[in-house]
Amino acid sequence: MIDRNQKNDRSVLVWDLPVRLFHWLLVTAFAMAWLSYEDNRYLDVHTFAGYTFLGLLIFRLVWGVFGTHYARFREFSYGPGDAIAYIKGLFGDDMRRYVGHNPAGAWAIFALIAMGLVLTVSGLFVLGGEERHGPLAGIVGFRQSVPFRETHEFVAYTLLLLVFVHVCGVLVESFFHRENLVGSMFRGTKSVATATLGVRPHRLVGATIIAVVAAYVIATFGGYLTATKEKPYLPFQGPHLVMNDPWTEACSECHLAFHPSLLPLRSWQQILKQQADHFGDDLALDEKTVNELLAYAQKNSADLEQTEPAWRMNSNIPSSETPLRITDVSYWKRKHEEVDAEVWKRNEIKNRANCGACHFDAKQGTFEDADMRIPGENAFDGIEWLKAILGGKDK
Amino acid sequence: MKLRFLAVILMGCMTTLAGLAQASVVDTLQQEYKTAGAGPFSAAKGEKMWVEKHKDAESGKEFSCQTCHTDDLKKSGKHEKTGKVIDPLAPSVNKERLTDIKFVNKWFLRNCKQVLGRECTPQEKGDFLEYLKGQ
Repeated sequence: MIDRNQKNDRSVLVWDLPVRLFHWLLVTAFAMAWLSYEDNRYLDVHTFAGYTFLGLLIFRLVWGVFGTHYARFREFSYGPGDAIAYIKGLFGDDMRRYVGHNPAGAWAIFALIAMGLVLTVSGLFVLGGEERHGPLAGIVGFRQSVPFRETHEFVAYTLLLLVFVHVCGVLVESFFHRENLVGSMFRGTKSVATATLGVRPHRLVGATIIAVVAAYVIATFGGYLTATKEKPYLPFQGPHLVMNDPWTEACSECHLAFHPSLLPLRSWQQILKQQADHFGDDLALDEKTVNELLAYAQKNSADLEQTEPAWRMNSNIPSSETPLRITDVSYWKRKHEEVDAEVWKRNEIKNRANCGACHFDAKQGTFEDADMRIPGENAFDGIEWLKAILGGKDK
Repeated sequence: MKLRFLAVILMGCMTTLAGLAQASVVDTLQQEYKTAGAGPFSAAKGEKMWVEKHKDAESGKEFSCQTCHTDDLKKSGKHEKTGKVIDPLAPSVNKERLTDIKFVNKWFLRNCKQVLGRECTPQEKGDFLEYLKGQ
Protein backbone atom coordinates (compact mmCIF):
# COMPACT_ATOMS: atom_id res chain seq x y z
CA MET A 1 0.00 0.00 0.00
CA ILE A 2 1.30 3.37 -0.96
CA ASP A 3 0.24 6.82 -0.08
CA ARG A 4 -1.17 8.30 -3.23
CA ASN A 5 0.47 11.61 -2.54
CA GLN A 6 3.86 10.01 -2.70
CA LYS A 7 5.71 10.86 -5.87
CA ASN A 8 5.68 8.01 -8.38
CA ASP A 9 8.89 8.33 -10.26
CA ARG A 10 10.04 4.82 -11.01
CA SER A 11 8.77 2.14 -13.33
CA VAL A 12 9.12 -1.36 -11.91
CA LEU A 13 7.94 -4.81 -12.99
CA VAL A 14 4.85 -5.82 -11.01
CA TRP A 15 3.30 -8.54 -13.20
CA ASP A 16 5.85 -11.12 -14.28
CA LEU A 17 5.64 -12.68 -17.75
CA PRO A 18 3.80 -15.88 -16.61
CA VAL A 19 1.09 -13.78 -14.91
CA ARG A 20 0.56 -11.66 -18.00
CA LEU A 21 0.50 -14.69 -20.32
CA PHE A 22 -1.92 -16.41 -17.98
CA HIS A 23 -4.20 -13.39 -18.03
CA TRP A 24 -4.36 -12.87 -21.78
CA LEU A 25 -4.45 -16.55 -22.69
CA LEU A 26 -7.31 -16.96 -20.22
CA VAL A 27 -9.14 -14.06 -21.89
CA THR A 28 -8.57 -15.66 -25.31
CA ALA A 29 -9.72 -19.11 -24.15
CA PHE A 30 -12.84 -17.64 -22.53
CA ALA A 31 -13.74 -15.73 -25.69
CA MET A 32 -13.07 -18.81 -27.83
CA ALA A 33 -15.33 -20.93 -25.64
CA TRP A 34 -18.16 -18.41 -25.89
CA LEU A 35 -17.83 -18.07 -29.65
CA SER A 36 -17.78 -21.81 -30.25
CA TYR A 37 -20.40 -23.16 -27.87
CA GLU A 38 -23.48 -22.78 -30.02
CA ASP A 39 -22.53 -24.56 -33.23
CA ASN A 40 -21.86 -28.28 -32.64
CA ARG A 41 -19.44 -28.22 -35.53
CA TYR A 42 -16.94 -26.32 -33.40
CA LEU A 43 -16.97 -28.64 -30.42
CA ASP A 44 -13.27 -29.26 -31.01
CA VAL A 45 -12.61 -25.53 -30.65
CA HIS A 46 -14.79 -25.41 -27.55
CA THR A 47 -13.06 -28.31 -25.80
CA PHE A 48 -9.67 -26.91 -26.81
CA ALA A 49 -10.64 -23.63 -25.14
CA GLY A 50 -11.90 -25.49 -22.05
CA TYR A 51 -8.79 -27.60 -21.55
CA THR A 52 -6.59 -24.54 -22.09
CA PHE A 53 -8.67 -22.63 -19.55
CA LEU A 54 -8.35 -25.42 -16.98
CA GLY A 55 -4.62 -25.80 -17.60
CA LEU A 56 -4.09 -22.08 -17.13
CA LEU A 57 -6.07 -22.08 -13.88
CA ILE A 58 -4.04 -24.97 -12.50
CA PHE A 59 -0.84 -23.14 -13.42
CA ARG A 60 -2.17 -20.01 -11.69
CA LEU A 61 -2.89 -21.97 -8.50
CA VAL A 62 0.72 -23.14 -8.45
CA TRP A 63 2.02 -19.68 -9.32
CA GLY A 64 -0.14 -18.22 -6.55
CA VAL A 65 1.98 -20.15 -4.08
CA PHE A 66 5.42 -20.28 -5.71
CA GLY A 67 5.30 -17.26 -8.01
CA THR A 68 6.66 -13.75 -7.63
CA HIS A 69 5.61 -11.35 -4.89
CA TYR A 70 2.48 -9.76 -6.41
CA ALA A 71 1.33 -13.06 -7.93
CA ARG A 72 1.11 -14.82 -4.57
CA PHE A 73 -2.32 -15.34 -3.10
CA ARG A 74 -1.00 -14.38 0.31
CA GLU A 75 -0.12 -10.97 -1.05
CA PHE A 76 -3.70 -10.21 -2.01
CA SER A 77 -5.72 -12.07 0.60
CA TYR A 78 -7.88 -9.33 2.01
CA GLY A 79 -10.85 -9.65 4.32
CA PRO A 80 -14.29 -8.53 3.15
CA GLY A 81 -13.89 -5.42 5.34
CA ASP A 82 -10.85 -4.32 3.33
CA ALA A 83 -12.78 -4.67 0.07
CA ILE A 84 -15.73 -2.64 1.38
CA ALA A 85 -13.39 0.02 2.79
CA TYR A 86 -11.63 0.20 -0.57
CA ILE A 87 -14.87 0.64 -2.50
CA LYS A 88 -16.12 3.25 -0.04
CA GLY A 89 -12.80 5.00 -0.39
CA LEU A 90 -13.30 5.32 -4.12
CA PHE A 91 -16.26 7.62 -3.48
CA GLY A 92 -14.64 9.52 -0.65
CA ASP A 93 -11.29 11.13 -0.08
CA ASP A 94 -9.58 8.12 1.38
CA MET A 95 -8.55 6.70 -2.00
CA ARG A 96 -5.72 4.29 -1.58
CA ARG A 97 -3.50 2.95 -4.24
CA TYR A 98 -2.18 -0.60 -4.23
CA VAL A 99 0.74 -1.73 -6.38
CA GLY A 100 -0.61 -5.25 -6.79
CA HIS A 101 -4.29 -6.21 -6.67
CA ASN A 102 -6.48 -3.89 -4.65
CA PRO A 103 -8.82 -5.60 -2.11
CA ALA A 104 -11.91 -5.40 -4.33
CA GLY A 105 -9.95 -6.60 -7.34
CA ALA A 106 -8.47 -9.42 -5.28
CA TRP A 107 -11.93 -10.70 -4.44
CA ALA A 108 -12.83 -10.63 -8.10
CA ILE A 109 -9.68 -12.61 -8.95
CA PHE A 110 -10.48 -15.33 -6.39
CA ALA A 111 -14.07 -15.49 -7.56
CA LEU A 112 -12.94 -15.72 -11.21
CA ILE A 113 -10.55 -18.57 -10.42
CA ALA A 114 -13.10 -20.47 -8.33
CA MET A 115 -15.88 -20.03 -10.91
CA GLY A 116 -13.45 -20.93 -13.67
CA LEU A 117 -12.69 -24.21 -11.94
CA VAL A 118 -16.39 -25.02 -11.50
CA LEU A 119 -16.96 -24.12 -15.14
CA THR A 120 -14.22 -26.32 -16.58
CA VAL A 121 -14.83 -29.27 -14.29
CA SER A 122 -18.57 -29.24 -15.02
CA GLY A 123 -17.59 -28.99 -18.70
CA LEU A 124 -15.54 -32.18 -18.34
CA PHE A 125 -18.61 -33.93 -16.91
CA VAL A 126 -20.74 -32.79 -19.87
CA LEU A 127 -18.03 -33.88 -22.31
CA GLY A 128 -17.78 -37.28 -20.66
CA GLY A 129 -21.52 -37.76 -20.28
CA GLU A 130 -22.98 -36.39 -23.49
CA GLU A 131 -20.14 -36.81 -25.92
CA ARG A 132 -18.35 -39.78 -24.39
CA HIS A 133 -15.02 -38.02 -24.62
CA GLY A 134 -12.41 -36.77 -22.18
CA PRO A 135 -11.30 -38.30 -18.87
CA LEU A 136 -14.88 -38.91 -17.68
CA ALA A 137 -16.02 -40.72 -20.85
CA GLY A 138 -18.09 -43.75 -19.95
CA ILE A 139 -18.09 -42.84 -16.26
CA VAL A 140 -20.93 -40.32 -16.44
CA GLY A 141 -24.16 -41.55 -18.04
CA PHE A 142 -26.10 -39.61 -20.69
CA ARG A 143 -28.90 -38.74 -18.32
CA GLN A 144 -26.56 -38.02 -15.41
CA SER A 145 -24.86 -35.33 -17.46
CA VAL A 146 -27.96 -33.12 -17.58
CA PRO A 147 -27.41 -31.32 -14.22
CA PHE A 148 -23.76 -30.79 -15.13
CA ARG A 149 -24.81 -29.19 -18.39
CA GLU A 150 -27.12 -26.85 -16.51
CA THR A 151 -24.33 -25.99 -14.05
CA HIS A 152 -21.92 -25.44 -16.94
CA GLU A 153 -24.28 -23.00 -18.64
CA PHE A 154 -25.20 -21.16 -15.46
CA VAL A 155 -21.58 -20.74 -14.36
CA ALA A 156 -20.57 -19.57 -17.84
CA TYR A 157 -23.01 -16.67 -17.49
CA THR A 158 -21.92 -16.00 -13.91
CA LEU A 159 -18.32 -15.85 -15.06
CA LEU A 160 -19.25 -13.50 -17.88
CA LEU A 161 -20.87 -11.24 -15.30
CA LEU A 162 -17.75 -11.42 -13.12
CA VAL A 163 -15.58 -10.52 -16.13
CA PHE A 164 -17.82 -7.50 -16.65
CA VAL A 165 -17.44 -6.47 -13.00
CA HIS A 166 -13.67 -7.03 -13.23
CA VAL A 167 -13.35 -4.90 -16.39
CA CYS A 168 -15.49 -2.15 -14.83
CA GLY A 169 -13.30 -2.22 -11.73
CA VAL A 170 -10.18 -1.89 -13.85
CA LEU A 171 -11.66 1.07 -15.72
CA VAL A 172 -12.79 2.77 -12.49
CA GLU A 173 -9.42 2.36 -10.83
CA SER A 174 -7.56 3.45 -13.97
CA PHE A 175 -9.69 6.57 -14.09
CA PHE A 176 -9.42 7.48 -10.40
CA HIS A 177 -5.71 6.84 -10.15
CA ARG A 178 -4.96 8.17 -13.60
CA GLU A 179 -2.94 5.17 -14.55
CA ASN A 180 -3.25 2.70 -17.41
CA LEU A 181 -3.94 -0.63 -15.69
CA VAL A 182 -4.72 -2.40 -18.99
CA GLY A 183 -1.37 -1.29 -20.32
CA SER A 184 0.27 -2.60 -17.14
CA MET A 185 -1.18 -6.03 -17.77
CA PHE A 186 0.56 -5.97 -21.17
CA ARG A 187 3.89 -4.43 -20.18
CA GLY A 188 3.92 -5.70 -16.62
CA THR A 189 5.26 -2.42 -15.25
CA LYS A 190 3.76 0.22 -13.01
CA SER A 191 5.02 3.63 -11.91
CA VAL A 192 5.67 3.35 -8.22
CA ALA A 193 7.46 4.98 -5.33
CA THR A 194 11.21 4.73 -5.25
CA ALA A 195 11.20 2.34 -2.35
CA THR A 196 9.17 -0.37 -4.13
CA LEU A 197 11.11 -3.31 -5.53
CA GLY A 198 10.26 -4.92 -8.83
CA VAL A 199 9.85 -8.65 -9.44
CA ARG A 200 11.78 -11.07 -11.65
CA PRO A 201 10.28 -11.44 -15.14
CA HIS A 202 10.58 -15.28 -15.22
CA ARG A 203 10.97 -15.37 -18.98
CA LEU A 204 11.80 -19.10 -19.02
CA VAL A 205 8.51 -20.00 -17.34
CA GLY A 206 6.74 -17.68 -19.80
CA ALA A 207 8.45 -19.33 -22.77
CA THR A 208 7.42 -22.74 -21.44
CA ILE A 209 3.76 -21.64 -21.26
CA ILE A 210 3.92 -20.39 -24.85
CA ALA A 211 5.56 -23.63 -26.02
CA VAL A 212 2.99 -25.84 -24.29
CA VAL A 213 0.01 -23.88 -25.65
CA ALA A 214 1.54 -23.81 -29.14
CA ALA A 215 2.11 -27.57 -29.05
CA TYR A 216 -1.49 -28.06 -27.94
CA VAL A 217 -2.76 -25.86 -30.79
CA ILE A 218 -0.77 -27.91 -33.32
CA ALA A 219 -1.90 -31.22 -31.81
CA THR A 220 -5.55 -30.17 -31.93
CA PHE A 221 -5.83 -28.25 -35.18
CA GLY A 222 -2.82 -29.42 -37.18
CA GLY A 223 -5.00 -32.08 -38.81
CA TYR A 224 -6.99 -29.43 -40.68
CA LEU A 225 -3.83 -28.41 -42.55
CA THR A 226 -3.23 -31.85 -44.05
CA ALA A 227 -6.91 -32.65 -44.62
CA THR A 228 -8.23 -32.98 -48.15
CA LYS A 229 -11.73 -33.15 -49.52
CA GLU A 230 -11.41 -36.91 -49.92
CA LYS A 231 -9.79 -37.44 -46.56
CA PRO A 232 -11.21 -34.86 -44.16
CA TYR A 233 -9.83 -34.34 -40.68
CA LEU A 234 -11.97 -35.85 -37.94
CA PRO A 235 -11.24 -34.05 -34.68
CA PHE A 236 -13.22 -36.63 -32.73
CA GLN A 237 -13.10 -40.40 -33.11
CA GLY A 238 -16.33 -41.99 -32.02
CA PRO A 239 -16.60 -45.46 -30.52
CA HIS A 240 -16.13 -48.40 -32.88
CA LEU A 241 -19.70 -49.49 -33.48
CA VAL A 242 -20.33 -53.02 -34.65
CA MET A 243 -20.68 -53.29 -38.43
CA ASN A 244 -22.35 -56.10 -40.29
CA ASP A 245 -21.61 -57.07 -43.88
CA PRO A 246 -25.11 -58.22 -44.90
CA TRP A 247 -26.56 -55.02 -43.42
CA THR A 248 -24.04 -52.75 -45.16
CA GLU A 249 -24.47 -54.61 -48.44
CA ALA A 250 -28.26 -54.72 -48.43
CA CYS A 251 -28.80 -51.14 -47.30
CA SER A 252 -26.08 -49.43 -49.31
CA GLU A 253 -27.46 -50.67 -52.62
CA CYS A 254 -29.68 -47.60 -52.82
CA HIS A 255 -28.55 -45.30 -50.01
CA LEU A 256 -26.19 -44.89 -47.08
CA ALA A 257 -26.34 -47.95 -44.83
CA PHE A 258 -27.79 -46.08 -41.85
CA HIS A 259 -26.44 -47.58 -38.67
CA PRO A 260 -29.10 -49.46 -36.64
CA SER A 261 -28.28 -47.23 -33.63
CA LEU A 262 -30.24 -44.44 -35.32
CA LEU A 263 -33.70 -45.99 -34.85
CA PRO A 264 -35.28 -48.25 -32.22
CA LEU A 265 -35.64 -51.97 -32.88
CA ARG A 266 -39.40 -51.71 -33.49
CA SER A 267 -38.68 -49.41 -36.44
CA TRP A 268 -36.22 -51.82 -38.03
CA GLN A 269 -38.65 -54.70 -37.47
CA GLN A 270 -41.40 -52.77 -39.19
CA ILE A 271 -39.12 -51.73 -42.07
CA LEU A 272 -38.12 -55.33 -42.70
CA LYS A 273 -41.67 -56.58 -42.29
CA GLN A 274 -42.83 -54.39 -45.14
CA GLN A 275 -39.73 -54.90 -47.25
CA ALA A 276 -41.85 -55.64 -50.32
CA ASP A 277 -42.90 -51.99 -50.22
CA HIS A 278 -39.81 -50.18 -48.97
CA PHE A 279 -40.82 -46.59 -49.72
CA GLY A 280 -42.11 -47.82 -53.06
CA ASP A 281 -39.42 -50.40 -53.78
CA ASP A 282 -39.48 -54.16 -53.40
CA LEU A 283 -36.30 -55.14 -51.58
CA ALA A 284 -36.82 -58.84 -52.39
CA LEU A 285 -34.63 -59.94 -49.50
CA ASP A 286 -34.68 -63.66 -48.74
CA GLU A 287 -35.72 -64.94 -45.33
CA LYS A 288 -32.19 -65.83 -44.26
CA THR A 289 -30.96 -62.28 -44.96
CA VAL A 290 -33.94 -60.73 -43.18
CA ASN A 291 -33.22 -62.81 -40.08
CA GLU A 292 -29.55 -61.84 -40.17
CA LEU A 293 -30.47 -58.17 -40.43
CA LEU A 294 -32.96 -58.44 -37.57
CA ALA A 295 -30.44 -60.17 -35.31
CA TYR A 296 -27.91 -57.41 -36.02
CA ALA A 297 -30.47 -54.65 -35.47
CA GLN A 298 -31.49 -56.18 -32.16
CA LYS A 299 -27.94 -55.99 -30.82
CA ASN A 300 -27.25 -52.47 -32.08
CA SER A 301 -30.51 -50.51 -32.20
CA ALA A 302 -31.07 -47.08 -30.68
CA ASP A 303 -32.75 -48.66 -27.64
CA LEU A 304 -29.29 -49.67 -26.43
CA GLU A 305 -28.13 -46.03 -26.48
CA GLN A 306 -24.56 -46.81 -27.45
CA THR A 307 -23.90 -43.30 -28.75
CA GLU A 308 -25.16 -39.78 -28.21
CA PRO A 309 -27.30 -39.80 -31.38
CA ALA A 310 -28.73 -43.19 -30.34
CA TRP A 311 -29.63 -41.82 -26.92
CA ARG A 312 -31.10 -38.61 -28.35
CA MET A 313 -33.13 -40.41 -31.00
CA ASN A 314 -34.36 -43.09 -28.63
CA SER A 315 -35.38 -40.73 -25.85
CA ASN A 316 -37.06 -38.46 -28.40
CA ILE A 317 -39.34 -41.08 -29.93
CA PRO A 318 -42.52 -41.75 -27.90
CA SER A 319 -42.87 -45.46 -27.23
CA SER A 320 -46.23 -45.40 -29.02
CA GLU A 321 -44.55 -44.37 -32.27
CA THR A 322 -42.61 -46.40 -34.79
CA PRO A 323 -40.91 -44.00 -37.19
CA LEU A 324 -39.80 -45.54 -40.47
CA ARG A 325 -37.63 -42.66 -41.53
CA ILE A 326 -34.78 -41.19 -39.47
CA THR A 327 -35.76 -37.80 -40.85
CA ASP A 328 -39.25 -38.13 -39.31
CA VAL A 329 -37.88 -38.06 -35.76
CA SER A 330 -38.36 -34.68 -34.12
CA TYR A 331 -34.82 -34.69 -32.71
CA TRP A 332 -33.47 -35.03 -36.25
CA LYS A 333 -35.74 -32.24 -37.44
CA ARG A 334 -34.70 -29.93 -34.64
CA LYS A 335 -31.03 -30.56 -35.28
CA HIS A 336 -31.43 -29.75 -38.97
CA GLU A 337 -33.89 -26.89 -38.83
CA GLU A 338 -31.17 -24.29 -39.33
CA VAL A 339 -30.17 -25.89 -42.63
CA ASP A 340 -31.79 -23.77 -45.33
CA ALA A 341 -33.82 -25.24 -48.18
CA GLU A 342 -31.18 -23.92 -50.56
CA VAL A 343 -28.47 -25.95 -48.81
CA TRP A 344 -30.40 -29.21 -49.23
CA LYS A 345 -30.61 -28.57 -52.97
CA ARG A 346 -26.85 -28.33 -53.39
CA ASN A 347 -25.39 -30.89 -55.77
CA GLU A 348 -23.24 -32.50 -53.10
CA ILE A 349 -26.26 -33.03 -50.84
CA LYS A 350 -29.50 -33.21 -52.86
CA ASN A 351 -31.23 -35.47 -50.40
CA ARG A 352 -31.97 -35.67 -46.70
CA ALA A 353 -30.90 -39.30 -46.64
CA ASN A 354 -27.44 -38.31 -47.83
CA CYS A 355 -25.99 -37.98 -44.30
CA GLY A 356 -22.45 -38.52 -45.51
CA ALA A 357 -22.50 -35.30 -47.53
CA CYS A 358 -21.94 -33.34 -44.31
CA HIS A 359 -21.18 -35.94 -41.61
CA PHE A 360 -17.74 -37.40 -42.25
CA ASP A 361 -18.42 -40.33 -39.92
CA ALA A 362 -21.94 -41.12 -41.18
CA LYS A 363 -20.91 -44.60 -42.36
CA GLN A 364 -19.54 -45.47 -38.92
CA GLY A 365 -22.80 -44.25 -37.37
CA THR A 366 -21.08 -42.17 -34.71
CA PHE A 367 -22.10 -38.66 -35.89
CA GLU A 368 -19.58 -36.85 -33.72
CA ASP A 369 -20.38 -33.17 -33.22
CA ALA A 370 -17.24 -31.72 -34.77
CA ASP A 371 -16.94 -34.27 -37.58
CA MET A 372 -19.07 -32.41 -40.06
CA ARG A 373 -19.02 -29.68 -42.62
CA ILE A 374 -21.68 -28.40 -44.97
CA PRO A 375 -20.29 -28.67 -48.50
CA GLY A 376 -20.04 -25.35 -50.28
CA GLU A 377 -19.67 -23.39 -47.07
CA ASN A 378 -16.33 -21.78 -46.50
CA ALA A 379 -16.04 -22.68 -42.85
CA PHE A 380 -12.35 -23.35 -43.16
CA ASP A 381 -11.36 -20.49 -45.39
CA GLY A 382 -8.83 -19.52 -42.75
CA ILE A 383 -7.28 -22.95 -43.07
CA GLU A 384 -7.17 -22.67 -46.88
CA TRP A 385 -5.46 -19.32 -46.51
CA LEU A 386 -2.92 -20.73 -44.07
CA LYS A 387 -2.30 -23.69 -46.37
CA ALA A 388 -1.67 -21.33 -49.29
CA ILE A 389 0.90 -19.41 -47.25
CA LEU A 390 2.65 -22.55 -46.02
CA GLY A 391 2.54 -24.05 -49.50
CA GLY A 392 3.93 -20.84 -50.99
CA LYS A 393 6.88 -20.93 -48.63
CA ASP A 394 7.76 -24.45 -49.72
CA LYS A 395 8.20 -23.31 -53.29
CA MET B 1 10.04 -56.46 -67.19
CA LYS B 2 9.04 -59.80 -65.80
CA LEU B 3 6.52 -58.13 -63.51
CA ARG B 4 4.91 -56.17 -66.28
CA PHE B 5 4.65 -59.33 -68.37
CA LEU B 6 2.99 -61.11 -65.48
CA ALA B 7 0.59 -58.22 -64.97
CA VAL B 8 -0.42 -58.25 -68.64
CA ILE B 9 -1.10 -61.99 -68.53
CA LEU B 10 -3.04 -61.74 -65.30
CA MET B 11 -5.16 -58.88 -66.59
CA GLY B 12 -5.81 -60.74 -69.82
CA CYS B 13 -6.90 -63.81 -67.85
CA MET B 14 -9.19 -61.79 -65.65
CA THR B 15 -10.80 -60.00 -68.56
CA THR B 16 -11.40 -63.32 -70.29
CA LEU B 17 -12.82 -64.82 -67.12
CA ALA B 18 -15.12 -61.86 -66.60
CA GLY B 19 -16.19 -62.09 -70.23
CA LEU B 20 -16.87 -65.80 -69.84
CA ALA B 21 -18.79 -65.24 -66.64
CA GLN B 22 -20.89 -62.58 -68.33
CA ALA B 23 -21.55 -64.74 -71.35
CA SER B 24 -22.52 -67.67 -69.18
CA VAL B 25 -24.84 -65.62 -66.95
CA VAL B 26 -26.66 -64.07 -69.91
CA ASP B 27 -26.81 -67.48 -71.65
CA THR B 28 -28.05 -69.26 -68.54
CA LEU B 29 -30.76 -66.69 -67.92
CA GLN B 30 -31.88 -66.56 -71.54
CA GLN B 31 -31.95 -70.35 -71.59
CA GLU B 32 -34.15 -70.22 -68.51
CA TYR B 33 -36.51 -67.73 -70.21
CA LYS B 34 -36.66 -69.95 -73.31
CA THR B 35 -37.69 -72.87 -71.14
CA ALA B 36 -40.49 -70.65 -69.89
CA GLY B 37 -41.62 -70.22 -73.49
CA ALA B 38 -39.90 -66.97 -74.47
CA GLY B 39 -37.55 -66.17 -77.35
CA PRO B 40 -36.01 -65.41 -79.70
CA PHE B 41 -34.50 -62.26 -78.12
CA SER B 42 -33.90 -58.97 -79.86
CA ALA B 43 -31.52 -56.17 -78.83
CA ALA B 44 -33.62 -53.64 -80.76
CA LYS B 45 -36.72 -54.52 -78.75
CA GLY B 46 -34.69 -54.33 -75.54
CA GLU B 47 -33.46 -50.86 -76.45
CA LYS B 48 -36.96 -49.68 -77.31
CA MET B 49 -38.24 -50.77 -73.88
CA TRP B 50 -35.16 -49.25 -72.25
CA VAL B 51 -36.02 -45.71 -73.40
CA GLU B 52 -39.81 -46.05 -73.21
CA LYS B 53 -41.43 -43.77 -70.62
CA HIS B 54 -44.00 -44.94 -68.09
CA LYS B 55 -46.24 -42.82 -65.98
CA ASP B 56 -46.18 -43.55 -62.26
CA ALA B 57 -49.76 -44.05 -61.08
CA GLU B 58 -49.19 -42.32 -57.74
CA SER B 59 -46.96 -39.34 -58.46
CA GLY B 60 -47.87 -38.85 -62.12
CA LYS B 61 -44.16 -38.54 -62.93
CA GLU B 62 -42.74 -40.22 -65.99
CA PHE B 63 -40.03 -42.82 -65.54
CA SER B 64 -37.86 -44.84 -67.84
CA CYS B 65 -34.76 -46.90 -67.23
CA GLN B 66 -32.83 -43.82 -68.26
CA THR B 67 -34.21 -41.79 -65.35
CA CYS B 68 -31.58 -43.38 -63.13
CA HIS B 69 -29.15 -44.99 -65.57
CA THR B 70 -28.95 -41.85 -67.80
CA ASP B 71 -28.98 -41.94 -71.60
CA ASP B 72 -25.39 -43.16 -71.70
CA LEU B 73 -24.93 -46.67 -70.31
CA LYS B 74 -21.18 -46.18 -70.19
CA LYS B 75 -21.58 -43.44 -67.59
CA SER B 76 -22.52 -43.48 -63.92
CA GLY B 77 -26.14 -42.90 -63.04
CA LYS B 78 -27.93 -41.70 -59.95
CA HIS B 79 -30.72 -43.17 -57.85
CA GLU B 80 -33.76 -41.04 -58.53
CA LYS B 81 -34.77 -40.71 -54.88
CA THR B 82 -31.67 -41.07 -52.76
CA GLY B 83 -29.09 -39.68 -55.17
CA LYS B 84 -26.81 -42.68 -54.61
CA VAL B 85 -24.36 -43.13 -57.50
CA ILE B 86 -25.05 -46.11 -59.77
CA ASP B 87 -22.02 -47.58 -61.52
CA PRO B 88 -22.12 -47.77 -65.35
CA LEU B 89 -24.26 -50.62 -66.65
CA ALA B 90 -22.41 -51.25 -69.91
CA PRO B 91 -20.26 -54.40 -69.57
CA SER B 92 -17.70 -52.78 -71.90
CA VAL B 93 -16.75 -50.29 -69.17
CA ASN B 94 -17.88 -52.18 -66.06
CA LYS B 95 -16.64 -55.76 -66.09
CA GLU B 96 -18.72 -56.74 -63.09
CA ARG B 97 -22.00 -56.21 -64.90
CA LEU B 98 -24.09 -59.25 -65.88
CA THR B 99 -21.78 -61.65 -64.04
CA ASP B 100 -23.92 -62.50 -61.00
CA ILE B 101 -27.24 -64.27 -61.55
CA LYS B 102 -28.63 -63.37 -58.11
CA PHE B 103 -27.74 -59.72 -58.62
CA VAL B 104 -29.33 -59.57 -62.08
CA ASN B 105 -32.52 -61.25 -60.83
CA LYS B 106 -32.81 -58.96 -57.83
CA TRP B 107 -32.48 -55.80 -59.87
CA PHE B 108 -34.82 -57.04 -62.63
CA LEU B 109 -37.44 -57.51 -59.92
CA ARG B 110 -36.85 -54.16 -58.25
CA ASN B 111 -36.39 -52.03 -61.35
CA CYS B 112 -39.27 -53.54 -63.34
CA LYS B 113 -41.57 -52.86 -60.41
CA GLN B 114 -40.22 -49.34 -60.08
CA VAL B 115 -40.53 -48.35 -63.73
CA LEU B 116 -43.33 -50.56 -65.10
CA GLY B 117 -45.18 -51.11 -61.85
CA ARG B 118 -45.04 -54.86 -62.41
CA GLU B 119 -42.56 -57.68 -62.84
CA CYS B 120 -41.08 -58.14 -66.32
CA THR B 121 -41.99 -61.14 -68.46
CA PRO B 122 -39.27 -63.64 -69.45
CA GLN B 123 -39.48 -62.29 -73.01
CA GLU B 124 -38.83 -58.73 -71.84
CA LYS B 125 -35.96 -59.77 -69.60
CA GLY B 126 -34.39 -61.74 -72.43
CA ASP B 127 -34.65 -58.72 -74.74
CA PHE B 128 -33.15 -56.42 -72.10
CA LEU B 129 -30.19 -58.77 -71.63
CA GLU B 130 -29.71 -59.03 -75.39
CA TYR B 131 -29.53 -55.24 -75.59
CA LEU B 132 -27.37 -54.71 -72.50
CA LYS B 133 -24.75 -57.36 -73.22
CA GLY B 134 -23.72 -55.55 -76.40
CA GLN B 135 -23.19 -52.21 -74.67
